[in-house]
Amino acid sequence: MRSRHRNTTLLLATIVLTLLLAAPPTTDAQTPKRGGTLRVSYGNEIANLDFHTAPGYEMMWVAMNIGCGLLDITPDGKFVPDAAESWSVSPDSLQYTFKLKKNVVFHDGTPVDAKAVKFSFDRLMDPATKSGMRSFYSAVQSVEAVDPLTVQVRMKQPYAFFLHMLAAYRTGLVLYSPAATEKFSLEDRKQGKPGAVVGCGPFKLVEWVKGSHLVMDRFDKYFKPGLPYLDRIVIRTIKDPITEMAAFKNGEIDFIASFSPEHVDTLKAQMPKAQIMTGKETTPMVAAMKVTVPKDGKPMSKERAPHPIFGDLRVRKAVGCYGMDRKEIVKIAFKGQATPWFAMAPPGTLESVDLNYLCPYDPAKAKAMLAEAGYGPQKPLTFDIIADTEKSVFNVIAAVIKEQMGRIGAVANIRVVDKVTWMNTALQDGPWDMYVEDLLSLLTIDSNGYLSNSTSTWSHPRHNDKKVDEYYDRYSKEMDTVKRKAIGKELLEYMADKMYWNNVSGSPFYMVAQPYVKNYTYNAEFEVHWYTVWLDK
Amino acid sequence: MRVYILKRLIEIVPTILAITFVVFVMMQSVPGDPAVALLGDAYTEEDAVKVRLEYGLDKPIVVQYVIWLGKLVQGDWGRSILSGRPVLQDVLLRLPVTLELIVLSMGVALAIAIPAAIIGALKQNTWADYTATSIAMIGVSIPEFFIGVLLLLLFSIGLGGLLPSSGWVYLPGTCPTIVCAAGLLGNATHILMPAIALGIGRAALLTRLLRASMLEVIRSEYVTTARAKGLAERPVVLKHALKNALIPTVTVMGLQVGFLIGGAIVVETLFAMPGIGTFGLDAIIARDYQQVQGFALVTAFAFVVINLLVDLTYTFLDPRIRYA
Repeated sequence: MRSRHRNTTLLLATIVLTLLLAAPPTTDAQTPKRGGTLRVSYGNEIANLDFHTAPGYEMMWVAMNIGCGLLDITPDGKFVPDAAESWSVSPDSLQYTFKLKKNVVFHDGTPVDAKAVKFSFDRLMDPATKSGMRSFYSAVQSVEAVDPLTVQVRMKQPYAFFLHMLAAYRTGLVLYSPAATEKFSLEDRKQGKPGAVVGCGPFKLVEWVKGSHLVMDRFDKYFKPGLPYLDRIVIRTIKDPITEMAAFKNGEIDFIASFSPEHVDTLKAQMPKAQIMTGKETTPMVAAMKVTVPKDGKPMSKERAPHPIFGDLRVRKAVGCYGMDRKEIVKIAFKGQATPWFAMAPPGTLESVDLNYLCPYDPAKAKAMLAEAGYGPQKPLTFDIIADTEKSVFNVIAAVIKEQMGRIGAVANIRVVDKVTWMNTALQDGPWDMYVEDLLSLLTIDSNGYLSNSTSTWSHPRHNDKKVDEYYDRYSKEMDTVKRKAIGKELLEYMADKMYWNNVSGSPFYMVAQPYVKNYTYNAEFEVHWYTVWLDK
Repeated sequence: MRVYILKRLIEIVPTILAITFVVFVMMQSVPGDPAVALLGDAYTEEDAVKVRLEYGLDKPIVVQYVIWLGKLVQGDWGRSILSGRPVLQDVLLRLPVTLELIVLSMGVALAIAIPAAIIGALKQNTWADYTATSIAMIGVSIPEFFIGVLLLLLFSIGLGGLLPSSGWVYLPGTCPTIVCAAGLLGNATHILMPAIALGIGRAALLTRLLRASMLEVIRSEYVTTARAKGLAERPVVLKHALKNALIPTVTVMGLQVGFLIGGAIVVETLFAMPGIGTFGLDAIIARDYQQVQGFALVTAFAFVVINLLVDLTYTFLDPRIRYA
């Protein structure tokens, strides 16, 4: 009996083994498959398709896939070649030499050579182009095509973040086909007219119908062998987050390029297999306070006077530092999914430091400071908080701040406005006291220069402290990493001490993909590339 | 009749001019500057000045309006400041989507309102009447976006994706772009939820109105006469009573087109439809004056023309009405 049982077991084992050996090999889930369409959703509309000038991340993420540049940056901060094969820096850091790959062509078939690289540099640096990147090229003296595959960039002064800038400040350097750029007008490029938007990236533009879709197709002559895997990318704008989530759950879209943090828990619960990607927080969530106002009442005037409320450092500190409970704000507004953060550069930004210890929540101290500044029950501090309607979280944060201000005897009135009204008020030196916003994602502290130095239009608080500019200047010029870090820390501490910049927290960024979307490398907002993506359907 | 139509058509011109002028002035008075939206984080005051100069935004409002009008009569609707796209091109792309939405939502409204109102009127003060009236009250009270979200939760999420949550599929043969989906079934599944979301509110309103009108008509002498002559109840109600009761309803339907365009903005945004509603909303938010003008022009024109058609419908509903 026992022998019969053993024989049966042996027979079964043999059958199973034979079946396993005879069965055709299963498809390796990790072997990339060619083909398919990736359906992406954006929460906001693309402004326009002139990659050198258009605002907004939505355009940038298209630019990163239609365009190519000299180099890219990996999530761990390493520079990797794109159209450049290699690069070198002179010992005095005043000359960068880029060797280009031989087989790189634009979508119109013209070569990506040194002249084309010079053309794009020159275009970005030309004030007539009105590029938002222009200020980052201020250290560049000249760009020369040494030979068809060698470009030399001469600098006026060392710029420690030159490669960071080329890789990932906004779009990074996006190379334009000189032939197509000269043939078509800016208006043609902005509207994505066929043939006008010509890059050298893995996908070429097929069509952009504003309000409906943007379609990119695989560029067969892309210089990275075998890439991209996808045949097509279709981008649609779904502004309502509930609809976006329903579309994702329904399988109507494969990839959400920017997912609302407040819906992350819901999605996790409803679709446990969905890939929810996030990483270091690199975007600051700001509760900015205006420091100066025009003395003559004319917006943007160079003659400045202290802001009637926040011109007083004691009030800024009472409100923004000791009177603001960042942990509570994060708990309520982000359901705990952000980092309470006081320093100007968010936690994920290169060389940022934690300065939360400088601002412990201390309402009693805040009250005392307000009293010192002349505010109290008889004369309560009253100010406005502007929250724009772009993201609901701004309103929630403003509401929590209002509540916290009540605890220190201050009255905060919330003004809800649309995005353009906020931009207009903040950018054009309009009347405002405080606003809540998340500003540009910061790869480096240096990249925040144009938002916080004394001469920048985007420095909304309009402090006129030249010492900040000196810090930025020293920081960006210093090539020694250790010394630079020390200057960076000093800069952050100085900004904190003067309260020229008031962060509430980092602002988490989420991307979401279906389980069958493979091989996407998450690199926050800085590098959004779909050429390695394939669909395991 | 011809003279009347011609007269009404001529009247359209000053009406639309007035509307577009008021919209133009109002948009310019709203805080916000299209140069800011265009330049975004690349904004500098110097560049903003150049942009304003480039697009003529530095000129007085009246001058800007006259320039816009001058171009319009030549067929040039202007270009979007933000995207550079010709306004007319975008309007023509998006208008059919909204027209289909409006027509079908009105269809949904009538499909609900007519039977509900008839039942309510014929069975006055019974449970059927109370049910119809209550549903109408609820329908009037719920905003489109809320109905839309409920439909989304039910049909797109709850019932395993029975209906698509967003996007658009064109009717066969109407694809206006290089890449687009077209198909009758796809179109029907994409329009169903938005049309219901937009139509239910109108249905409720029309039910109440039509019920009241029907109550009045079914008590009138000619209906009593018809019944006395031995006509069956069905033709009495549908042929004699309903036709007359529809006159005030049709008037309101015409006026409701304005509300439908307003509602389309919400519904199109919720269901991510590429219609004229989202076009107008985006334009207003971005202070894209040229696009806002295009939106105002097309919606004003639609409103005026539909109301003209409504007036002409009276002659069909009541042959005694004659226009001189």
